[in-house]
Amino acid sequence: MLSAKRKTGLVFFPAFDWSVSPTHPEREERLLYTQDQVMEEGLLDLDGVVEYRVRPATYADIRRTHFCVPDEAAVTTESHLIAAGGCLVAADAVMKREVDSAFALVRPPGHHAMRVVHGNRGFCNINIEAVMIEYIRDVYNVRKVAIVDTDCHHGDGTQDIYWHDPDTLFISIHQDGRTLYPGTGFPADMGGPNAIGSTINIPLPPRTGEEGFRTALDELVMPLIERFEPELIVNSAGQDNHYEDPITHMNFSARGYADLTARLKPHLAVLEGGYSVEKALPYINVGIIMAMAGLPTATVKEPNYDTEYEAQTPEVDKYVDQTISTVRKQFITSQPPPDINKDGRIIERRRNIFYDTDMIQELQTERIRRCRDCAGALWIESSSSRGYRILAIHVPRWACPACQKQARQWCESVPAKTYDKVYIQDRTKNSYTVI
Amino acid sequence: MILGLDVGGTQTDAVLVKDGHVVAHGKTVNGADLLETLDTALDQVLSGVDPKEVRRAVFSTTLATNAIVEDHLEPAGMIVSSGPGMDPEWFTVGPSYHVVSGCMDHRGTEVTPIDRGAVMNAVSAIKRQGIRVAGVAGKFSVRNPLHELMMSQWITDSFSYVAMGHIFSGSLNFPRRVATTYLNAALHGVHHSFVSALEKTLTRRGITAPRYLLKPDGGTVSLSGSYRFPAQTAQSGPAASVMGALALDGCRETALILDVGGTTTDMAILLDGVPLCVPRGITLGEFRTSIRSLLTRSLGLGGDSRVRVDDKGCLKIGPTREGSAVAFGGPVPTPTDAMIVLRLLHAGDLKAARRAMEAVAGPLNLHPLAAAERILTNMAQTIALSAEAFLYSVNSRPVYTIHEVIECARVAPTILIVLGGPAPMLAPYLAAAFNLPYRIPRFHDVANAVGAAAARVTTEVTLQADTQRGTAVIPEAGLEIPIRRDFSMEAALSMAREILEKRASDEGASPDELDFAVTEKEEYSMVRGGARVGKNIRLKLTIVPGIAPDWAEKEQC
Ligand SMILES: [Zn+2]
Ligand SMILES: [Zn+2]
Repeated sequence: MLSAKRKTGLVFFPAFDWSVSPTHPEREERLLYTQDQVMEEGLLDLDGVVEYRVRPATYADIRRTHFCVPDEAAVTTESHLIAAGGCLVAADAVMKREVDSAFALVRPPGHHAMRVVHGNRGFCNINIEAVMIEYIRDVYNVRKVAIVDTDCHHGDGTQDIYWHDPDTLFISIHQDGRTLYPGTGFPADMGGPNAIGSTINIPLPPRTGEEGFRTALDELVMPLIERFEPELIVNSAGQDNHYEDPITHMNFSARGYADLTARLKPHLAVLEGGYSVEKALPYINVGIIMAMAGLPTATVKEPNYDTEYEAQTPEVDKYVDQTISTVRKQFITSQPPPDINKDGRIIERRRNIFYDTDMIQELQTERIRRCRDCAGALWIESSSSRGYRILAIHVPRWACPACQKQARQWCESVPAKTYDKVYIQDRTKNSYTVI
Repeated sequence: MILGLDVGGTQTDAVLVKDGHVVAHGKTVNGADLLETLDTALDQVLSGVDPKEVRRAVFSTTLATNAIVEDHLEPAGMIVSSGPGMDPEWFTVGPSYHVVSGCMDHRGTEVTPIDRGAVMNAVSAIKRQGIRVAGVAGKFSVRNPLHELMMSQWITDSFSYVAMGHIFSGSLNFPRRVATTYLNAALHGVHHSFVSALEKTLTRRGITAPRYLLKPDGGTVSLSGSYRFPAQTAQSGPAASVMGALALDGCRETALILDVGGTTTDMAILLDGVPLCVPRGITLGEFRTSIRSLLTRSLGLGGDSRVRVDDKGCLKIGPTREGSAVAFGGPVPTPTDAMIVLRLLHAGDLKAARRAMEAVAGPLNLHPLAAAERILTNMAQTIALSAEAFLYSVNSRPVYTIHEVIECARVAPTILIVLGGPAPMLAPYLAAAFNLPYRIPRFHDVANAVGAAAARVTTEVTLQADTQRGTAVIPEAGLEIPIRRDFSMEAALSMAREILEKRASDEGASPDELDFAVTEKEEYSMVRGGARVGKNIRLKLTIVPGIAPDWAEKEQC
């Protein structure tokens, strides 16, 4: 009997009864053919592959990560809760050492969902990786986590949630934002004042192939992870870098994904995007599962690979090498510039956030307390074109006394009737209060 | 009258049922010759009965299981085609396994044609090994059987039997398809000779009634129909006991069936009176197959299990059986001895049973009666613990839709149905250990044979229609039917029902037992570039395991 070299957990939740709209890329049958392929390959029968049943996440699970406006019920459906819950099941399997690693093949995805949620951005409402990581931190007392986002789109939601957190290394490899939604994720964006260098963006040019990803992984991602020494590696396993993907322009194959997974060896992989439902997803997912299980993946191939796949062009080679060496220099050979702000200073930024799926405009003013001892007390004022005006105060999980005090002061000085709602998320006490 | 016969691991039970009542029953210890044993068992229930009165005869046999477990399979050659994905060499079975090129995708579109030259080379290699039977299996052949049909056609003259993968199950799972195809080829000879010998025995006795074999899913297949799927008759014993419980108890509740035998206790679950099935197929020996089966769990603990006190002074029961109880001349104390000492069972040598209990009681520092109590309590608790694990695994089975996550109620039995020889003695202890009420049906000690007698034909069909490709495929019937672009779910349902009815009657069902359920029903739009280009319809129709319509009355307890 064939058995996995590394014990692998699988949470498979295709959500055949949920879609954004009938012809939207994120629709009911997105994982249909994947399920067909996974079933036909007999992958769930492998000794050492353990399939788990999903469970819905609770609102309390979501409140560790998000501020949902006006509340969780308004911005989530059953399927969002189940997709997030599927990640929690995968996390439990790994953290209880039942398996070496686990893959949550769930939908809908989550990496465009930011800390404040007014609706759906880029098919995402709830950031399922972040919900999972904060659950792991609370339940299993894990601190340092590395997230490698290999979705073709910049993981702007995950970046937003961990922008100020020095305990989370967030690395996003994606198609250059000048050529693709959401248009962000440049090397200069490297984290907030308390976490400079813990956000890393690696934009690659359109038509980047297997070679480019491998170079990025070997020369940049793996050394960065090694230096960070995380307790856990999480892969936001978006599969829209595939050469068949209809909404992106990259040049990656199923075997490329399998190879990437085998090199990265994530403890937890969470499915993100991937919209070539027939010609790519079935083969990529099979490749990723086999790679996680430690099986050779040489026989994984798309039926049209030999006739349709073309290697990366020399121009792309050159461009990729340049990008990687720029980012490499920025983060590895020379340290990121030190922040000049003094401890205790409140640093403010204003942003416009657009929700493409739900057509919402959000205006945010954010204040962070500059702190060398923790992620910093965070104050967010947010108003949306839907008419809500809210205030959210976040106390990080390992907040220092000074930042806890700052948050208390903010809470006490909220002007009456200025906001529809005021939310206080105190991660030191795992409490969530709405006023 | 209906004749039911169950060939178990050590003994054979036979019953004769008339108007829904058991009118004769018997037990025979298995001998070396299976047919001789069958003959003896038939004598026990048929003496004084006009063989013409028998309207149906159903047999549950362990023959195929034994052949697999004892490795008495006939060597069979396998030719498989797979395409991308898992390396097909990983699923190698049998002495002559050959991978040829040729590939279908998940929609049943041919990607690479099958290579006739390679197939014929494989045939030569198989023939050189002196092998007479073969199997062909292709990845996604249930979506398009073309490659398997072509291979089968090319090689059919070279072998006495060729098994094809797509007809055994419409479910997706290539490794299981390979193993199941192989087993059907490798069991063909042994099954054939058993069936013809059985035919001879019955004919000699003047029994002309239709004959059936019991399958592990609790359904029956006609003797002639069974030639197509020899492996499908393996491991039917546990299913027989489940069907026996259904027939004798008429249970409509969510129940745990406990069949306590001499060596093992078998467990099964009824959900609102319907037995649960294993999700992907049964495992036979080292083979994971796609053969449908009721979900049962066997625990090495029965009336004849060995009882001892270990070095740490702990009471241990099972899992081995050294012989019968001391009260019946056996070598080591058993739970049966405990039942005799407690006067729950009035049989065997009471003095010998007492001696056996004293041997256990000594190291435990207990009175022999207290030791006997302890043994039965302990046994019931062990069964309860194992049942709890069994239920846990059932309740953690994956589900794939929001509806299922929300609706899927946890399976929680409200009653125990206890079967087997020791049932009356042990049931009160089980009730205490489970904290559940219990029922013991009449004829609980021949429930397997009753189950065989009462079971009806089961079969299923899988239909996948792809309006863009313009085909509907029903693999179990080997059909690929052209369809129009406006093919609907309704049309699919009526097409599948028609095929199911035909298949069921081919396998010996009478028209009034065609009680089928739709077990899978999905319809998806296929979208290209933001526009719908076709429909993908998936449908599975199953005749659920149940009691045959002529089983008029339930035996009441
Ligand atoms: Zn994406
Ligand atoms: Zn601080």
